Amino acid sequence: MIRNLKEVKDNNFDITRDAEEVRNLSFNDSTCLGCGICESTCPVEAITLNAIAVDARHRTFNDVYFSGHEKIAQNFKEEFDVQRISIDESKCVLCGMCSGLCPVDALVLTIDGTPIKEIDAYPHYNAFSEIDDDECIYCKRCEIACPRDAIVIERILPNRADLVTGEIEVDDDECIYCGVCEELCPAEAIVVDKETGKESIVIDKDKCVYCLVCKKACPTTAIKAVCRSCSYGEYDLDPANAVVKGNSVIDSELCVFCGWCEGVCPTDAAKHKKPFEGSIEIDDEKCQACGACVDICGCNALAFPVSSGPGSRMEHVIANGDYCVKCKACAKACPNGAITVKRTEIDHTPISSTTWKEALDAIKD
Amino acid sequence: MELKVEQDNCLGCGICVIACPVNAAISPENAGGNGAKTEEVVMMVENGFIKLFSPEKCEECGTCQMFCPVNAIWLE
Repeated sequence: MIRNLKEVKDNNFDITRDAEEVRNLSFNDSTCLGCGICESTCPVEAITLNAIAVDARHRTFNDVYFSGHEKIAQNFKEEFDVQRISIDESKCVLCGMCSGLCPVDALVLTIDGTPIKEIDAYPHYNAFSEIDDDECIYCKRCEIACPRDAIVIERILPNRADLVTGEIEVDDDECIYCGVCEELCPAEAIVVDKETGKESIVIDKDKCVYCLVCKKACPTTAIKAVCRSCSYGEYDLDPANAVVKGNSVIDSELCVFCGWCEGVCPTDAAKHKKPFEGSIEIDDEKCQACGACVDICGCNALAFPVSSGPGSRMEHVIANGDYCVKCKACAKACPNGAITVKRTEIDHTPISSTTWKEALDAIKD
Repeated sequence: MELKVEQDNCLGCGICVIACPVNAAISPENAGGNGAKTEEVVMMVENGFIKLFSPEKCEECGTCQMFCPVNAIWLE
């Protein structure tokens, strides 16, 4: 008899069926948004979405809105960790519906080693995120804004010596080795040895920016310095040497296509497309401001508003629809049913199978 | 997941009663840990200790656990 084997490691797991065709379903807990699409889609009811609000709060506590209030949230222990979904391997038939509809590839079904997103017979969401290296200025705005830490920008700065031009010399006869210049130098280019008998002063010309602070502060007239940019212009500087170079990487396993990168990008380098379009609304009457949604949102699309001053009356929670991927994890986590998320459009590759069409229609409002 | 309380740890401060979003929806006058609809809320301070009244109403958001200054209420 052919049976499913389940292998659990941390909160991730693999379910495998070894037959003529090897099917394997992998779950990656850190990628999972907690949207529950898999739970509602599974044709054999093998999947349960767990109470992940507590888990999400454990992951984010202290750095969202409790920063500085470590006493609050102390009961979220380090070891507290909940698997976001559970799959009953005795019920699972490894059909791949959960994997096909998972918007972030937290569940991946492979058939004989090939993920179904590479197989044409299965539908795939038309979603992407990319950073165009030709446009990117490596400012790292996206890296900081990315709620999933999916972006890594590595930048190579130009040499400081290539950006400035000038001359600096010390007259050893005049220098009294007081060290004033060393203490003032903003570029840490000067080293003065003040010890009696061993006095010396060294200026590192690769670090010096010719700001002339040392020259102005010197109690004697030991430092002779001039900034060539100020007096003659920058004719001897090559602008090509002043360019910041680098490269950008988006980790496709972590990216949820929320669009923060594109939103904060000062150039046109970052581009994205979400798998779903729709709307998100919060009923302020029902909302009790517990913050479960804020903690659970994988896209930083929900936030508590910041008061503009005493006496101002604000909404309990604000939703930024631009960065919401309409996954509905917040709506599921809300204890008061205050959040309404509507998924009106689903962009996926054409599919002929009726079952898949029905499954995709079922997650649409 | 189940909501658990440990009365031995409880200080009776009532912060969980106030913070619980389900309680707030059932009985907004709960401020201070005392309210009119005692039997209907998820938890309430009784005789100085926390007691679960309707744990089946718990939506497992973890807010009570987050605010509890000791280890008196948690989800597991």
